[in-house]
Amino acid sequence: MIQVKNLSKQFKAPTEEKGLFGPKKKPFWAVKDLNFEITKGSVASILGPNGCGKTTTLRMIAGMLTPSRGTVFVDSVDVRKDKQTVKSKIGYMTNNTSLYDRLSVIETVKFFAELNQIPSDVYMPRAEKLFDQLDMRKYLNKRIADLSTGMKQKTSIVRTLIHDPDLIVLDEPTTGVDVTGQSVIVDLIKSIKDSGKTLIFSTHQLNEVRDIADQIVVMKSGEKIFDGNNNEFQKLDRNKNFTEIFMELVNE
Amino acid sequence: MNKWQVLLVKEIKHLFRDTKTIVQTVVVPTFITPLLIGGIFWYVGSIATEETKKTYEVSVYSSSNSVLIDELNKSDRLIVSQEDSVVSVIDAVTQDNSEIGLVFDEDFEEDLKFNTSAKLTIYSKDIDTFSQAQSLVLNIVDNYEENIRTSRLELLDLDENYVNPITIDEEDLTTEEESAGSIFGAILALFFVMYVISGSMYPAIDLGAGEKERGTMETLISTNISSVDIIIGKMLSVTSSAILTATFSMLGFAIPLIVIFMFYSDSINEYLFGLLSAIVNPVALLGVFVLIVPLSVFMGAFLLAISVYAKTPKEAGLLLGNVLIVFIIPCYIPLINPGLELDFVGALIPCYNLALITNNLIAGTVDWFLYSIALISTIIYCCVAIYITYIMFDDENVIFRS
Repeated sequence: MIQVKNLSKQFKAPTEEKGLFGPKKKPFWAVKDLNFEITKGSVASILGPNGCGKTTTLRMIAGMLTPSRGTVFVDSVDVRKDKQTVKSKIGYMTNNTSLYDRLSVIETVKFFAELNQIPSDVYMPRAEKLFDQLDMRKYLNKRIADLSTGMKQKTSIVRTLIHDPDLIVLDEPTTGVDVTGQSVIVDLIKSIKDSGKTLIFSTHQLNEVRDIADQIVVMKSGEKIFDGNNNEFQKLDRNKNFTEIFMELVNE
Repeated sequence: MNKWQVLLVKEIKHLFRDTKTIVQTVVVPTFITPLLIGGIFWYVGSIATEETKKTYEVSVYSSSNSVLIDELNKSDRLIVSQEDSVVSVIDAVTQDNSEIGLVFDEDFEEDLKFNTSAKLTIYSKDIDTFSQAQSLVLNIVDNYEENIRTSRLELLDLDENYVNPITIDEEDLTTEEESAGSIFGAILALFFVMYVISGSMYPAIDLGAGEKERGTMETLISTNISSVDIIIGKMLSVTSSAILTATFSMLGFAIPLIVIFMFYSDSINEYLFGLLSAIVNPVALLGVFVLIVPLSVFMGAFLLAISVYAKTPKEAGLLLGNVLIVFIIPCYIPLINPGLELDFVGALIPCYNLALITNNLIAGTVDWFLYSIALISTIIYCCVAIYITYIMFDDENVIFRS
């Protein structure tokens, strides 16, 4: 489903040296020569400390950032060559619900469905099924600004899934979300896993990873330092728990 | 619907559900500004009317009893007080106890008696533009001087034409339309430009930097909508708001004028009526509107490009505030130089060309070649601004700039 090949991304970051128009900038590799594969229908998690390149990797997979080197294949489609096709296969969601405050729930869902050029006789039954699953019926005509964080999360989930994407990308979906919101997200990941779709998510919540992920990719300073399943991760040190192994890996 | 149309509908819905947008595009240009302008005119008018009834203090120092002082005393709008020194006269004017101070030269009466020129010094403060004190005093002095001149000529048995070899007869052929154009053209253009900017500024900030800050821009570009569709959708939203504001501002000016024509035409003087009629000219309004449309697109695209570059709405507001000055200054130039004529180079300068063309359209003296140049150049600027916006939206360093 996903093949990440020598994926690299270079940015320019400000240094302490001052130039004519502010601090001088110096290139650095946010992601460097990343290689991994995710099979269809599996749930993969990208772990790593802040600034290790998780979001940049996910954004490159989703076609939002162009790789400086290497590429990503989503269902054999090269993201560098056909960004739009890759985007149409993906549902991307961040921890920030990022919705339009002055639209209602139903208008939001309709907007994203129409943006994906899905006819109403296709998206409406799909939306109604998701509304029932997430118990959202009472809130459909409410504006996003008037919703609770949990309900915003649910709306964000519906808009991410409305075009029935093959691959779902969640960037730190539970960061900054309250307990209710976290449980909504965890339930979502589980239901996606059950439906046989491919899912890739980054997180700092290691218990979520232990419970849900089929594959774990650990990154540090833009590079991959571990790629394997739950058992392989635990095998790294049988005497330590999940968190301790992770801490040891990233602090090495 | 195409993707840009879907985005456009969403953006317009989202924008116009915000009370700020409604206030800025409809309420302020249609109601608040005409009321404000009307209020200012009424206030200024009432001060001017009040001034025609006012009496003024005049301080006078003269060593002899001049007939001119008697003449000043005859005026029921002047209260003449005699001072004992020149310094007292100057003090009275400086301390605002008198509007005018008159100092007669020591030999004033003697000089008149011996048919030479007598000296009179007038002290005043010229900052009060409404005050009629000086003109009242000068009128009396002129009449007094005229009487003396006539009696001197009679004494010499000379006709008045002897000292006036050339009689100038001035005929002003300026039409009401030309007067209206020179008085109101640049002001109207300035208002239109300000409305186009204010109408597009808030949407540009909201749809550019605002979306970046709220994270909805990231959501939007994660979908399979292309940069071109995003630009078309967003730019048309900003432009619609700008054009709507310009339209309502035109209505805001036209409706009160139409009301005046319909119900109060008898109570305004003929000259003012002629000037106002010249403004409500369908060809002029249409001509201005045709120029405003590409100008709105140009500004919309330009402001959106700057807004999307900014990291936050605050930064966008700061950057766009500076742009506002760049657009408004060219409109001010014809306002402070009423005699300016549009030439080829001027027709290429946005906003400046609009101000002068608005003058000419109202005056009925528009050069259609220069009008076309202005229109074509604005369309070219539009294309450049749209291209810059495209580069901005297509650049991930700009979209993810933080």
